[in-house]
Amino acid sequence: MSVLSIMIFLPIITAFILFITKININVVKVIYMIVTFIIMYLAIDLYMNFDPNNSMQFVEYHPWIAEYGIAYHIGVDGVSLGIVMMNAIIMPLIAIALYKQRDKHGYWINLLFVQGGIMGAVLSLDLMLFYLFWEVMLLPIFFMIGLFGYNKNHFFAMKFNIYTIFGSLMMLIAILYIAVQYKEQFGKYSFDLYDLKNTILSTTESLLVFSGFMVAFAIKIPIFPFHTWLSDTYRSTPIGAVIVMSSLMAKLGAYAIWRFLFTLLHETSRDLSPYFIGIGLFGLIYFGISAMSQIHLKRMFAFSSASHLSLIVVGFFIYDVYGLVGSSYLIVAHAISSAALFLMVGMMYERTKTHYIDSLGGIATVAPRFALFFVFFALSIVGVPLTAGFVAEVLIVLGAFEYNIYVGFLTATTILIAMLFMFKMISQVVYGEVGVAVENFEDLRLHELVALVPLALLVLAMGIFPNYFIKKIEPTAISYTMGKGVANHE
Amino acid sequence: MSNQFIALVVPALLLFSAIFILLFGLSSYYTKNRGYYITLATLMITFFISADSVNELHSIEILPKYFNSMIVYDTFSATFISLFLLGGFLTLAIAKSFIDKTNFFTHEAFVLFLFSIFGMVMLTMSNELLTAFISLEIASMSVYILVGLNRDSLKASEAFFKYLLLGSFAASFYLLGMMLIYAQAKSTNLDVIAEYILTTDIHSQFLIIAGGMLIMITIMFKIAAVPFGAWVLDVYEGASLPITAYMAGVFKIAVFAFALRMFLHDYISFELIYDPLIIFGAIVTMVIGSLLAVIQSSIKKMLAASSVVHSGYILIAFASMGGATSNAASAIIFYLFAYFISAIGAFGVLSYISKGGEKLINYDDLNGLAKDRPIIAASLTIFLLSLAGFPSTIGFIAKFYIFTSAIEAGFTTLAFFGALSASISIYYYFKVIMHMYFKESSHVEIHYGYKVSLAFIIISAIIVLWGGIGTSLLLDIPGINALNDLSKFSIESLGL
Repeated sequence: MSVLSIMIFLPIITAFILFITKININVVKVIYMIVTFIIMYLAIDLYMNFDPNNSMQFVEYHPWIAEYGIAYHIGVDGVSLGIVMMNAIIMPLIAIALYKQRDKHGYWINLLFVQGGIMGAVLSLDLMLFYLFWEVMLLPIFFMIGLFGYNKNHFFAMKFNIYTIFGSLMMLIAILYIAVQYKEQFGKYSFDLYDLKNTILSTTESLLVFSGFMVAFAIKIPIFPFHTWLSDTYRSTPIGAVIVMSSLMAKLGAYAIWRFLFTLLHETSRDLSPYFIGIGLFGLIYFGISAMSQIHLKRMFAFSSASHLSLIVVGFFIYDVYGLVGSSYLIVAHAISSAALFLMVGMMYERTKTHYIDSLGGIATVAPRFALFFVFFALSIVGVPLTAGFVAEVLIVLGAFEYNIYVGFLTATTILIAMLFMFKMISQVVYGEVGVAVENFEDLRLHELVALVPLALLVLAMGIFPNYFIKKIEPTAISYTMGKGVANHE
Repeated sequence: MSNQFIALVVPALLLFSAIFILLFGLSSYYTKNRGYYITLATLMITFFISADSVNELHSIEILPKYFNSMIVYDTFSATFISLFLLGGFLTLAIAKSFIDKTNFFTHEAFVLFLFSIFGMVMLTMSNELLTAFISLEIASMSVYILVGLNRDSLKASEAFFKYLLLGSFAASFYLLGMMLIYAQAKSTNLDVIAEYILTTDIHSQFLIIAGGMLIMITIMFKIAAVPFGAWVLDVYEGASLPITAYMAGVFKIAVFAFALRMFLHDYISFELIYDPLIIFGAIVTMVIGSLLAVIQSSIKKMLAASSVVHSGYILIAFASMGGATSNAASAIIFYLFAYFISAIGAFGVLSYISKGGEKLINYDDLNGLAKDRPIIAASLTIFLLSLAGFPSTIGFIAKFYIFTSAIEAGFTTLAFFGALSASISIYYYFKVIMHMYFKESSHVEIHYGYKVSLAFIIISAIIVLWGGIGTSLLLDIPGINALNDLSKFSIESLGL
């Protein structure tokens, strides 16, 4: 058992044990914290031991279904490391920030379960294994929406579920198709990523396989035409699950484009990249404008993170080393900031019992510390200098300018649009007249500060010393670019 | 134990017990419990006897001197026989509380139950069309009566009558088909027919082709594929829950087993002629089955309709048999095993909850089950996830095999349709989960069935999970690989 396996299975097994034993909710919370802190410790340890000069590391390989060459094959590289770290850091902080609010066993059990599922999906290097975790992590989210969600949550849980599983099944067919082609060319089955990338597909075939994968990823992220589940689901979802969805699962979709599509079908991805840059840019602006017109805080943040996810997709598809590094960096940066913001939305809801922007207002006068953190994280999403978002967005915009001046220009508008919707929201929620709901607003409590300060420090550190973090990502990006005609500025 | 001995002793024991209960039932010492336990013990003993021989590759004709090679005992039949016996055992074991609470499980019920299993055992062993027909009719007749067991219920009588009429009508096609085949090949023995097919010009075999199609009609009827499956909703609804579980989980498998043997033995060379029909059947079955399942309001009928969809998935693999013979055939066996255990589990939970009540179980009746009985709700969730083909359950691995074999045979579109109907099935299976977990319970505390039944439900749920993730790496218990080897063995043994 390597450290990666422990990180995958410890939460899942704990969740299972907690499910079958009936113990006091406080004990459950303590166990949740212990387990997630162990994972966090392991992840930090992993980060320290991660060799920045290598790409794939800590590889573990066991055959699983021998007949079809399916194996338990996991490993971590510079891009997945970011999501692993986020998964490990955000999960315990959710508990610290929200431990008073949620007194249901299922809430914490499902969160543990989803942590293991996401960890597994990020680390898998075998397509079937990836598919397994990709589907399994959906289940706890379904239960969380249905059990602890808000208005019409049953309907939206179902909608989200059918929508995403439909995408996954299309991906399944694509995976099977490529594996069968591999078998015909090499004489045996394999679902290993590194085997399958040798498969030769005709143009039509690779287009179809590409779209099979892309439907699944596009729904999860979501990019433009597949976003219709997004805003209502976010509104109905309890805050812990929203954090997981926006800062981990959506990022996982973007990551999967890079990990699977760019590896397996790199020529097709390259040929199609102009379309996806176009869709991404359109989505970026469209979601930004949608975010501006929202009156519900969670829906507004749903569109805001969709807008930034489109930026990540653009960053991947411009096929430039800056874009790759920038997108990987933005995955982490946006995960931290959006997790923090959603945590604060959760705290706000606990105090005011409302998510509507117009009934809030003037928090700065009542709760200055809360306002400080809220504005700080909002600005880091916008990409204000000295925050992590800035570094990432500058890298992506640089890459986009290398690609094409118009694309570069349009990509740069993201900062402008993000500023518009964020400042509009901030001015209504944090400043202005004190709303009715806000009158007895309590400032940040100690445990909430404990959860938010590390995130804030991380955002600052990533903004001020980006080199320390980028050097872990860069070798992966460069090793990927070798021989694939990706612009490399060495 | 020699294989010959096993092949003789299993049906003999079943028959002996059946006749014993038939006589014992008339004596004053008979109680329902005694009949029940005798049946259960017979099934368990025969299961252990027959499971002994599934791990090796073997194929022998039983007493060829007397039976004129009508009966073969190979790994294929050994696997399926073990499956039926296990299925019968699980059905009865889970239904204990149901049987206790109802008054129509007289001693005849157990007799018929054993007879039907005897018929199915003979069906998988028969290597000859006439023997197969007789065994099929023994099994069917017993099941007809089991459907109508509850004489006080109008629905059950209606189901019985409907099933009897349509079933007998469908069986006549089999006879006609058999006659046509005999007219050309001059034999009803599968081996002889196979030889004839191989040695004769394929364009002059019209009677054999036509006969095969007629037999296919009967098989399609029995597995409730769409153009011939109109009976399925009413019959499954009318039958009492354990019997429905038995029909969906066990009886259907027996028919598939015979179809598989006949197809692989004889008709594989006509794949090109039959493929369009089977493909059409598969797509129509999946589409209409899905639609039917979506609109049901009772869970029992929903599961009945979804069993139609599962027949459609299996037909996909039948269609792929030409391009990827061994993979498709073993995919079918694996799928049958997966469906068997999940369906028995799902129906079993329903019978456990209903405790013999006449009332149909609607979605709303399950509201709040997760709060009252978390273990039951979790088990039902696992069964439903497996039926829906959700990863980490055995149902997913089974679908994976089916779709892979379809793509391997070049039917990617068919696999796509399969995936599409799987995504529709998410709706109706998750609807049950939604009602169990998300809705507030409306009923007062219910006292559910026995602990024994519960234990078997849990065991089935664990098998379902282990079949989805199991590997001998973790524990030394046969997992996916072993099951896969088993189905490969069964297919290989047919060629011996």
